[in-house]
Amino acid sequence: MLENLPYILSQFAVPMNLILMVAGTFVGIIFGAIPGLSGTMAVMLFMPLTYTMESGTAIIFLLSLWIGGCSGAFIGSVLLGIPGSASAVSTCWDGHPMAQKGQASKALAIGMTASFTGTFFSALAAALLAEKVADFAFAMGAWEYAALCLVAMTMVLAISKGNMFKGLASTCIGLLLASVGYSPIDAELRFTFGNMYLMSGLGMIVVLTGIFAVSHIMVTFGKGFDPAPEVDSKGLKGFGLTISDIKEELVNIIRSFLIGLGIGFLPGMGSGLSNLVAYSTAKNASKHPEEYGHGAAGGIWAPEVANNASIGGAMIPMAALGIPGDSTTALLIGALTIHGLEMGPMVFANSGDVVYLMFFTVMVVAAVVLVMQSIGKRYFPYILKVPSVYMYPALLVICLASAYVDSGNLYKCGMMMVFAAVGIAMEFGGLPTSPLILAFILGPTLEKNMLKAFQYSGTWTSFFTRPVSGVLMVIAIFCIFSPIIRAIIEKSRKNA
Amino acid sequence: MKFKRDQVCGLALIIVGIIFGYLTSQFSKPFTPEYPGPKLLPAIAVFGLIVCGAGVFGNGCRQKTDDKLLVDLTGFIRIVITFVILCVYVLAMKYVGFLIASPIVLYILTTYFSKASNLPTKLWARIVFSIAVSLILYAMYVPLFGMTLPGGLLFD
Repeated sequence: MLENLPYILSQFAVPMNLILMVAGTFVGIIFGAIPGLSGTMAVMLFMPLTYTMESGTAIIFLLSLWIGGCSGAFIGSVLLGIPGSASAVSTCWDGHPMAQKGQASKALAIGMTASFTGTFFSALAAALLAEKVADFAFAMGAWEYAALCLVAMTMVLAISKGNMFKGLASTCIGLLLASVGYSPIDAELRFTFGNMYLMSGLGMIVVLTGIFAVSHIMVTFGKGFDPAPEVDSKGLKGFGLTISDIKEELVNIIRSFLIGLGIGFLPGMGSGLSNLVAYSTAKNASKHPEEYGHGAAGGIWAPEVANNASIGGAMIPMAALGIPGDSTTALLIGALTIHGLEMGPMVFANSGDVVYLMFFTVMVVAAVVLVMQSIGKRYFPYILKVPSVYMYPALLVICLASAYVDSGNLYKCGMMMVFAAVGIAMEFGGLPTSPLILAFILGPTLEKNMLKAFQYSGTWTSFFTRPVSGVLMVIAIFCIFSPIIRAIIEKSRKNA
Repeated sequence: MKFKRDQVCGLALIIVGIIFGYLTSQFSKPFTPEYPGPKLLPAIAVFGLIVCGAGVFGNGCRQKTDDKLLVDLTGFIRIVITFVILCVYVLAMKYVGFLIASPIVLYILTTYFSKASNLPTKLWARIVFSIAVSLILYAMYVPLFGMTLPGGLLFD
């Protein structure tokens, strides 16, 4: 690990990298703070900008956007009571009541410190653990990789409430879109209709930005913009937090960190779940659970430490196995592939310097975020007042420019509009988009490994007879049916 | 008979599944239990779509009340108009390029968003915003990061 230090330091000695880090963090915080936008969207929109960059520069920029987005999500939760993203849902429950009591400065300071703690230490844990996990991954064959991909895709379904069919349908749409173009191993053209633009596949930016960003903006406009919110900016002076405040919550912080790290490590899971689990655990373990929901400090510490700890957790399977921990790491895997970095156990041998640069960048950006947020805390209300009538048209133009930059032709911009229509149809039908993202990105890996496994063994039963892949397949099947099992258990409990 | 949202969604999923199922069956390489070949992934997706479509349809049939619509008719018209504006923007970029098409479409979108949402904005602010954003994006993509944006057939 330490042998990579000269390369890492050389990257941080490049002025352009530092400028992009600060700019990426700033943009990320804004995307994270504004409800409706997210760090994932920021990574998606700005990814094509990195195509001409050195891989080190691209990594620093993309990770800055991601970490900024994750760390900024609590701002909307505290000041508006509306989460910036799904990762900060439970932060609303105590963050906003605390702000309403006139302690906005303290609530924001807890959010900032918790975000830093979760991000920094989880990245450190990832740096220490990822190579060990990669060593274990060398023993994995095509069967295990295929099963792991299935687990990643199906775990998202396990947390979808009463939406199993819709979540699974969204996964299937992602798999279908991933099938377009030449098939792996056999090189047969699929669903191209003789169109040369489709032969190399649909393209990540075109599909995901169309379905995730363009359609979302149009539907938000269809629902009607709300006027700029009134935010009380009084009492935002000073840091608002003391060492004794941190000491009081130390057990909660450590517990939430471990929850976030663990959930982030699970393929397909991420900060959207970890913040909820950490919050409920903190409430159950608290001596004063009645204070939760009315501005309890522990109710801000727990979700914010956990959702940011999921970052490091998600980076472990991303680097060591090439399996994303959540939808943003799925995007990052795609972006890094464009830069010639194929994540997986071999990456430590082939590009160890770049992988450790990733972990180090996350730690540095966590500190940059803390400094930027501490300095800019009094300006947070202005971020939330960015008028939608200006912001959304600019984002739509950026989306289409990204599609052009990604491919170099306007045909892909037209395709993006087609996928925007698909996204709108999905929103009308109530189909979630996260399973589609994971399935679209993991689809090729899943197919390649499944076909390899069939070539080696000639039977599907080998997926169940090999111990590790057998266990993973059982987990995947359990995840698919878990909403039904849960419903049956709940029904039997009610009847009892 | 009035269909519920989930019934429509389920039917749509089944129809998409059947269409892609037919297209998958046209692939030349055979699907065998020993080696399923290029039909494997689409076949899994098609099977899943049809089963899930049936499940969503079934859920819709069991629902006593329909889910609230995502947007009302006014909202739907807004989405369609925005969609058309963006499609025209893509065409306009082909002929007049990014630098001319973008400020115009930004102005149209900000004006439309502002009026439709009843959030008043000043004319000069929209003009300055449209030109400034277009120039900033052009400067960011082209000179700064060395990428290309559409130049326009009329100027080639």
